[in-house]
Amino acid sequence: MNRIKKALLPIIVFAKIDIKRLFRDKVAIFFVFFFPLIFLIIFGSIFNNTSDVSFKVGLVNQSQADFAKDFEKQLRSNDVFDIDKEVVSVDDAREKMNRGQLDATIILPDTFGQIKNNKYPAGQAQVLYDKSNEQAAQTLTSIMESIFGEINDKLVPHDVPFSVKAETTDTKGLTKFDYTFSGILGFTLLSLGIFGPTQVFPRLKQRGVLRRYHTTTLKVWQYFVANVISNAFIGLLAVGMMFAVAVTMFDLNMRGNYLVLALVVILGTVMLFGIGLALGGWAKNENQAAPLAQLVTLPMMFLSGVFFPTFLMPELLQKVTQFIPLTSVVDAVRLTITENANLIDLAPEIGIMLGWTVIIYLIAFKVFRWE
Amino acid sequence: MGKTDKTIVTVTDLVKTYDKKNVVDGISFDVKEGEVFGILGPNGAGKTTTLEMLEAMRPIDGGTATITGIDVAKNPDKIRALIGVQPQTPSFEEKTKLVELIEFFAATYGEKVDAKAFLEDVQLLEKANAYPEQLSGGQRQRFSIAAALVHGPKVFFLDEPTTGLDPQARRNLWDLIKEVRDRGVSVILTTHYMDEAELLCDRIAVMDHGKIIALDTPKNLVKDLLRRGFKKEQHVEQANLEDVFIDLTGKALRD
Repeated sequence: MNRIKKALLPIIVFAKIDIKRLFRDKVAIFFVFFFPLIFLIIFGSIFNNTSDVSFKVGLVNQSQADFAKDFEKQLRSNDVFDIDKEVVSVDDAREKMNRGQLDATIILPDTFGQIKNNKYPAGQAQVLYDKSNEQAAQTLTSIMESIFGEINDKLVPHDVPFSVKAETTDTKGLTKFDYTFSGILGFTLLSLGIFGPTQVFPRLKQRGVLRRYHTTTLKVWQYFVANVISNAFIGLLAVGMMFAVAVTMFDLNMRGNYLVLALVVILGTVMLFGIGLALGGWAKNENQAAPLAQLVTLPMMFLSGVFFPTFLMPELLQKVTQFIPLTSVVDAVRLTITENANLIDLAPEIGIMLGWTVIIYLIAFKVFRWE
Repeated sequence: MGKTDKTIVTVTDLVKTYDKKNVVDGISFDVKEGEVFGILGPNGAGKTTTLEMLEAMRPIDGGTATITGIDVAKNPDKIRALIGVQPQTPSFEEKTKLVELIEFFAATYGEKVDAKAFLEDVQLLEKANAYPEQLSGGQRQRFSIAAALVHGPKVFFLDEPTTGLDPQARRNLWDLIKEVRDRGVSVILTTHYMDEAELLCDRIAVMDHGKIIALDTPKNLVKDLLRRGFKKEQHVEQANLEDVFIDLTGKALRD
């Protein structure tokens, strides 16, 4: 018992100091906590809006009819497309479309909305578009058709024998952001786990700090475990902050259990930190470590579904990518957040992570150098 | 306590080979309890390599070294627990308080200590919450000594401890090393400075090209030289430039 206590003492003392040290270092705080948040906010803003595709549309109303005025008001207040307030004439619209600032323009001609046959208002709206924006114009036309369809139905009620209704399979209302978030999170854990130690350890070696540790009875495994603990703690904290921002700013739908997520995050952090530990522990100086870190991280980032979904890749590559360490982290986080996966559902991902962790740490242990 | 007759360190025919060349070439000596043993020599003589082998930091290629009877090559872990090491340029992790570093170094030996008492021993109590990068050269050397002694080692190795220090800091460090010796710790140090060797060391080994070419007390080495008919140009000087410097600037420590 006493021997175990003695062996654990340096681990606990070092981990505590290591965590405190991070909070004293403004540059480190920025890179560990705020850099991922900036990344998150940028990506969040991009992906959060994609659920409702928004057109930039010009609106020129040449009609004096009451119906036209009401219709204009209705269009301006809709949230399907964005109406440019600066456009008042067809010439304005043409100019802006030429510059690519508008997707298309709706023109209500002067006869639009006049009462026809003393019964009801009628007319034909025009969608003006640039050749390069044909798709946007078609979409806009069909939106207009459906708006007119509703109005027509009210003015001239009639039965429609055939109709079609589109419905999404996703009834729970997941946004694109919910899927993207796990990738951003994986990317953060990757940079924390690899770029940190591949910079720190070679620097400590060059300054002789690790050499000094080696003159004591400190063992490599003790030094490893201490670093793993402090890093897992910091990783969990960074992820927690990202979660807070994701939930408050981007309405992240967290379906899963936070404990399951914490476990996945800890496991992922420890595994990825092992890669950094192996590279940084082996390298004698930063010149050796930096290119190695890039060599390992870049393919992982592109192949693991952080930046684009793996299903876009050739089938053979997909089979390979699922065994890449980062893929299992990103997948496990994604399944937890979007599908409320439990530990049994996550068995394959967790299995891959555990397997990699063992392999990585065996290598790290083997190649570690104190100087 | 000071020096006793008990032998703590025994070195026999020690060899280190780099690229088929013996950088340490069959040296032998022993160090007594509470003795300050100096290894002198020009750069590349093999001083640091000798120290590193005794510290269990470099594999021993030939011969044996024991500390308190324990074989260095066979029991490196036991040896590390018995020795304290002061590297040539002590360097510590930044943004770490001195108290925390002392606590950590003690913990590496599985020990909990009163860190402040150790800092007080080297007059750094008021710097307890400072970071090592905020210390002056002399303060850092003193701190490094405190850190090396947290576990009460039997042998204390110092590699060129006063290189780059001002005269006040050097004198202060000498006093500190004497205090450590007086506690019964054997001190083994390397140095380039003859005044340091003469003032501090009980015995000196002069190394060149990997061999010990002389080994005795400073007094005997000088006597031996004189006996061989050596004559130095006579100066009857009651003081030297360093005396002037110390007289002008005082002995008080600057840091």
